[in-house]
Amino acid sequence: MKNPYEVLGVRENASEEEIKKAYRELVKKYHPDQYRDNPLSGLAEEKLREINEAYDYLMKNQSGGNRSGSWGQSRESYGSRNNNEFYSQVRRNIQMGNISAAESMLNSTNDRSAEWYFLRGLVFQRRGWYDEAYSSIQTAVNMDPSNFEYRNALNQMNMSNAAYRQTAYGRGYSRNDDLCTLCQFLWCADCCCECTGGDLIGCC
Amino acid sequence: MFGYIFPEKPELKIKEYELFRAYYCGICKSIANRYGQIPRLTLNYDSTFLAILLSSISEVENDLKMERCIVHPSRKRGVIKNSDIIDYASDINIILAYYKLKDDWRDEKSIKSGAAALFLESAFKKIKRKYAEKCEIISHRLRELEKLEKECCNSMDRAAEPFARLMEEIMYYPETCKDEKQSDILKWMGYNIGRWIYIIDAYNDLEDDIRKKTYNPFIYQFNYANSDVDSFRERIREKVEFNLVYTLNQLAKTYELLEIKRNKGILENIIYMGMLKKTEQILNARSCKKIEKSI
Repeated sequence: MKNPYEVLGVRENASEEEIKKAYRELVKKYHPDQYRDNPLSGLAEEKLREINEAYDYLMKNQSGGNRSGSWGQSRESYGSRNNNEFYSQVRRNIQMGNISAAESMLNSTNDRSAEWYFLRGLVFQRRGWYDEAYSSIQTAVNMDPSNFEYRNALNQMNMSNAAYRQTAYGRGYSRNDDLCTLCQFLWCADCCCECTGGDLIGCC
Repeated sequence: MFGYIFPEKPELKIKEYELFRAYYCGICKSIANRYGQIPRLTLNYDSTFLAILLSSISEVENDLKMERCIVHPSRKRGVIKNSDIIDYASDINIILAYYKLKDDWRDEKSIKSGAAALFLESAFKKIKRKYAEKCEIISHRLRELEKLEKECCNSMDRAAEPFARLMEEIMYYPETCKDEKQSDILKWMGYNIGRWIYIIDAYNDLEDDIRKKTYNPFIYQFNYANSDVDSFRERIREKVEFNLVYTLNQLAKTYELLEIKRNKGILENIIYMGMLKKTEQILNARSCKKIEKSI
């Protein structure tokens, strides 16, 4: 087992509160929902398992308190309510990361139902073809607007960009260019000085 | 096609900035020592990012020295020395610059590019002997891209694929990747980086491509049909933005799976801020004002 403190990214004498906070953040970050469209979702699950183990270990050893069940373990599997054996097989292939098998199965059929479009969208997602993925899932939603699974997948694609931006803003990223213009000006001035052998800002 | 990957400078710590430069200078000097002065001019920031990323998971500690150089003779600066990763990143830098110049020469009959490619010829031959397999794959991907261009491919996903696969290959440096997991992560990061570069470059070059009547995936995917360039850019912007940011998000999520040993601050600055900034700059640029690229 790895050093549980390192896994959770806290210092060795962190308080229970700090550990819990770090744990919650990490679970959110590596939650299976976040990685549905990523071909390395297996690794994310592994990471989550590691995080859960580290947390369990620390909680057990710190206060003797016990916790009911780890988070993020329950993964709703695709196709639990699917009766069609063919599409279940496609779904299994996608889940196991066997994308080319899933793709050739989809190509082999003439069926163009909403589910076909949806699954093709999932295949495109895993291949990195996000544009086609989006239109394919969109088609599935249009064909069967009442289907929660399709709509959910589409919403997640829409929301993931906002999540990424949120992280950037959380790190201090700003679209506002006032400060930026100033920095650029200073930087340009600095570069000009450096070209001629001098230096305006000593550090860079 | 290069020079889009750059940190968001105001948000870098000074020590991170110094380190970034030490990598940059390391690559520059590595090129100079092994191939002479002229290939040095091809240096760009993308290869700096490659070196920083690969060394972030490497077991080998950086060998940082203070040195002078002819470009900045006044003061000593940090330079990373004796690193296989730096050498690899410099070789990749030259390979890509060489192919890019060849490509410009072929497509646009640019004499400047043709001549520059000749100057890189000897360096390129040496590298080709060292990484025969990699060079073969890279040129194979570029031939695929050329073929799609000839076919006037009307899907940005499909058009971006060869370059994305090319970056995937570049990110795979077996010497640092001790296990399959790490190299899978790097490859998928590479795929998304390549895809992002291809799409952002296509959007940035849209006006030029329309004027010169050269291939651009958006012309075919969104039916340009001789409308006004500005309103066309405006019309497709939302779709392009979705794809670019989605790709960055995938890159970021994949990056989070990597076991980082160093350079965390710089990498996260680039992945979460620098690349987003570039995306927004290019999407919102007025058509007359081209975004400056490094080289």
